[in-house]
Amino acid sequence: MEQRTALDKQGYIQRNLLDKKDFSLKGFFLQWEWMLVIILIAVMMINASLSPYFLNYASLRDGTMIFMDKAYIVFPMAMIMILRDIDISVGSTVALSSVVMATMYNSLGVPMELAVVICLAVGALCGFINGLLIVKFKELSAVIVTLGTMILYRGIAYVILEDQASGNFPEWFGFFGWGYVFGIPFILILFIIMAILFGFLLHKTTFGREVFAMGKNPTASRFSGVKVDKIKIIVFTLAGLMAGLTALFLASRMGSTRPNVATMYELDVIAMAALGGVSTAGGKGRIIGTVIAVFIIGYLQYGLGLINIPAQTLLIIVGILLILAVAVPKIKLPAFVKRK
Amino acid sequence: MPENVIQNSAQLQSPVKKTSKLANIYKFRELGLLAFIVILSLAVQLRNPSFLSGENINDMITNTAILSILALGMMLVLVTRGIDLSIGSTIAFSGMIAAQAVSANQNLNPFVVILMGIVIGMACGAVNGILIAKVGLLPIIATLAMMNIYRGVTFKISGGEWISSYQMPESFVSIATGKTFGLNNLIVIAIVIYLLFYYLINHTRTGRQIYAVGSNPDSAKVSGIKEGRILLLVYTIMGGFAGLSGVLWVSKFASAQGDTASGYELTVIAACILGGVSIAGGSGKISGIILGSVLLGILNNALPLLNVSPFWQTGIQGLIILVAVIINTLVKRGVDRNNLMRRKI
Amino acid sequence: MSEYVLELRGITKKFPGVKALDNVHFKLKAGEIHALMGENGAGKSTFIKVITGVHAPNEGEMFLYGEKVQFANPKDAQNKGIAAIYQHVTNYPDLSVTENIFMGHEKVHKTTKRLRWKEMHAEAKAILQDLGSSIDPKTEMGSLSVAQQQIVEIAKAISTKAKIIIMDEPTAALTARESEELYKITERLRDQGASIIFISHRFEDMYRLASQVTVFRDSRYIGSWGVNEITNDQLIVAMVGREITQVYPHKKNKAGEKLLEVKNLGKMGYYADISFTLNKGEILGLTGLVGAGRTEVCQSLFGITTYDNGEVYLKGQKIRVRNPKEAMNLGIGYLPEDRQLQGLVLDWGIGRNITLPALKDLSSKGWLNEKKEASLAKKLAEKVNVKANSIFDLVSSLSGGNQQKVAVAKLLTADLEIIILDEPTKGVDVGAKSAIYEIINNLAAQGYGIIMISSEMPEILGMSDRIVVMREGRITKVIDKKEATQEVILEAAMSEIKEQVV
Repeated sequence: MEQRTALDKQGYIQRNLLDKKDFSLKGFFLQWEWMLVIILIAVMMINASLSPYFLNYASLRDGTMIFMDKAYIVFPMAMIMILRDIDISVGSTVALSSVVMATMYNSLGVPMELAVVICLAVGALCGFINGLLIVKFKELSAVIVTLGTMILYRGIAYVILEDQASGNFPEWFGFFGWGYVFGIPFILILFIIMAILFGFLLHKTTFGREVFAMGKNPTASRFSGVKVDKIKIIVFTLAGLMAGLTALFLASRMGSTRPNVATMYELDVIAMAALGGVSTAGGKGRIIGTVIAVFIIGYLQYGLGLINIPAQTLLIIVGILLILAVAVPKIKLPAFVKRK
Repeated sequence: MPENVIQNSAQLQSPVKKTSKLANIYKFRELGLLAFIVILSLAVQLRNPSFLSGENINDMITNTAILSILALGMMLVLVTRGIDLSIGSTIAFSGMIAAQAVSANQNLNPFVVILMGIVIGMACGAVNGILIAKVGLLPIIATLAMMNIYRGVTFKISGGEWISSYQMPESFVSIATGKTFGLNNLIVIAIVIYLLFYYLINHTRTGRQIYAVGSNPDSAKVSGIKEGRILLLVYTIMGGFAGLSGVLWVSKFASAQGDTASGYELTVIAACILGGVSIAGGSGKISGIILGSVLLGILNNALPLLNVSPFWQTGIQGLIILVAVIINTLVKRGVDRNNLMRRKI
Repeated sequence: MSEYVLELRGITKKFPGVKALDNVHFKLKAGEIHALMGENGAGKSTFIKVITGVHAPNEGEMFLYGEKVQFANPKDAQNKGIAAIYQHVTNYPDLSVTENIFMGHEKVHKTTKRLRWKEMHAEAKAILQDLGSSIDPKTEMGSLSVAQQQIVEIAKAISTKAKIIIMDEPTAALTARESEELYKITERLRDQGASIIFISHRFEDMYRLASQVTVFRDSRYIGSWGVNEITNDQLIVAMVGREITQVYPHKKNKAGEKLLEVKNLGKMGYYADISFTLNKGEILGLTGLVGAGRTEVCQSLFGITTYDNGEVYLKGQKIRVRNPKEAMNLGIGYLPEDRQLQGLVLDWGIGRNITLPALKDLSSKGWLNEKKEASLAKKLAEKVNVKANSIFDLVSSLSGGNQQKVAVAKLLTADLEIIILDEPTKGVDVGAKSAIYEIINNLAAQGYGIIMISSEMPEILGMSDRIVVMREGRITKVIDKKEATQEVILEAAMSEIKEQVV
């Protein structure tokens, strides 16, 4: 070290740049995720004190099954927000893909296995259209494009099913929403698998690195050879695909579907991502944070439901949570809440 | 090489003649919209003669009145590069409180009710404005959250109950059905607002500053314009219009519910986009807003007359928004391309 | 009353981590055009912002007509008769010319506060006509050319009744003829009694207009001279701090076989009939005024934008590049002009920035190998000699020169044959400049073909083997190093009026 500073004074010296980071215990505990863990514990404790039924395995398990469906969309939504965009059409995408699936099965006699695949395909297609429009018409923002498709997709669902419900799915289809594997809900297992997949995709692959680069500086990314259009389309398509998956779980859990399902899912999803530490200014966010945030918001809603707080109050609470989640980092607070 | 040079110099500058090509395009746009409205009306009339009957026209205009008032407010929001998704909830909120007030106190003066609605709406709008201008949230996030909160509060105060026409006094219902100077009150209110609004945005400093902030926020700062205050003002005006519309809405439909005007913000945004308001900020005209609102009003009215299933309406609206923004973009690209072509090299 | 209309003494302005101005002085006489010169990053723009009240200085005093003043905001300065025309045109493209002129000091009715449009339109028209321009004041600002917008900005300054007008590089984006118009207007303003501070890079601006010149370097005041008292060479020494000839390293490259051939390239509205060749191991200088289309041509070669017609051959093979990735795969790299916007991710570390273009080589089946990444980043950052402690240091914490080295290191990740450098030393201090020249020379010696875009005459002359000069979208001259002089290049870059006479 001393030698290096001495050489510095003489001018041109081949420097030795450090290429390893020291592990800092303080830095490790200064991460936003720890804050989230504390919030989650607080939520659990409050719920447990409000309702004696909350803290037992069956209750927690059922609660998870209820809020878990929309949680799948959080991962691609986090990516979209890292890209500095937003997608408010995901709720409509869920509705459209589930309606198409139900109609295929009930009215057109398509086998359910195929209808499930079609459901996912419709979701992916919706997302792909969003991505394509955003990339081809760069003058428009993602807000306006997905606002348009949000109405359009919901509208198509209404055209297909009008105000009917469509159900009568085969028995095995109920497994998505109600099935267990080794006593653990299937929906939770798949969620964890997805979290790991998306975690690797975002944090360990070139694709993820390029997503972060685009969020920080889209122009420089383009000049560095990142295929910005392609990445954007893929990310939006993933959001559609996950919305299709959500549609499966939702239709399975409810036993039927109708055009007005999943209304305002986008709000919950955006709130989960924002609370999970994904910055609306782009370029920042981690999957682990969004996973914890999913449980915070999910258990909060479930717990309040247990003590008979009406759904309308939950609307208010999610709204306030979303505002707090995006506003808190903007207000200067003591260092320990500062996000990494 | 030298001949190029000479050629260039000759072609070089004709800067003076470049004027107002853009302005022409906008005029062309509005004329196009007007022509489309006329053609559409005639086509609908051919299919269903009751379309252009006095009663139906009156119905259409009163429907459009509320929409266009809201679209004016939304235009200002869009001009400053923002968006407000919470207005449907604000309408429901102020409408519900107004309905509760008149059902509890049947002698309440209609003007007091209207004033109350406006104040409630302005308060809601001011909250949005503070979150956006002072806390620095993205408009879409802030208003999305507030949309839920206002809606939730509306459900809470209503306790899930409807307030219907028999609970409302005659004086309240006549806000929307009565006439002044032989014109429906809604139309009179809309015209008054138009005039005030026109004065605000074209003849006052504040009005022009709103456009300046949208056109170039950075230079607005250098010119000493207080961006935060402008944004706060814009969202408050939007809220005030939504509050007023809430009272008018409840009076017109003689019912107040928790889900009144749910999703109406999208119709309003569609009217603005059809009217040529740029989402990138800085531009938007009242004449465009009127045309956009009228077109949507006609469509909403004509579809049932043409026996189009009501379930198609949402989809058609979504399609209209998308097609309108895409056409706007393509027109703008065409203008830019023309400008380039005129740049002789 | 003092002899000076404006005097600044001992102004210091600090930003977090930087001293943007360090004890600078400035004296402006009534009715003079005073040139303020200095390289990029010398502190000129910050200085202007101090005068116009955008920034408050940390230390120092300002005197206006002998009276001490302090400005809290731009409005204060405007009220005292100071107006600035900024480098980047700062206007409202969606609003009318009249509004742009009167923004901030609109004419309103005394009691009703109603805007008096008629009066404003009339006055705007009068001012513009007085400036010899027939722009319709009701036109939308965004539909005017840059030169016309510049005139509107001047009209704005006049409309505020400004007695002191500051012009920050107003000629940077103008053609020669447009510049001449601007000179005339500026002189007219002076004759009408305004005092003008004229900031420019271009010596010709200074010689044409100014009577006094003040030079800043590295945020410091260097000196002030009458234009007749100082020679060109002395002025350069004052600006760059040493003899210009010392800066360029000894060249050791040799041109080899033909690498790239561009034939009749054209893009509507930007450039036309562009033909040139580039050889192995050669540094091809590409110069001309800002806005001559140099950057656009190179960005088309790199796949950022497309071209409408013409052909590009790489080693005899016809190529058509559709995006930067393809260009890089073909061996073409581009160092963008705007480091902060186009070149780097500022709040990322050095390492991540360097490896961004090469992620594919550092991964297998999409999985990133972070060890490999770190070692490559370390190797390249050391190769270009970035001054930092670790590859995790944020790029935003580096100086301009070191940022540029990181940007150059990014190019070295790919297997390139052609490197396009767009203003590689813009905003870089003198010491780092020669380091960058050294790197460029080494690259050429290793056989890379290099296209260097630059507006700085000495740099073009000192570095290039051949020089291509562009003007208004066309190549006006290709000059060999031996025949190249400042005069020849300048003539090709801006001599349209002379050519017409011939």
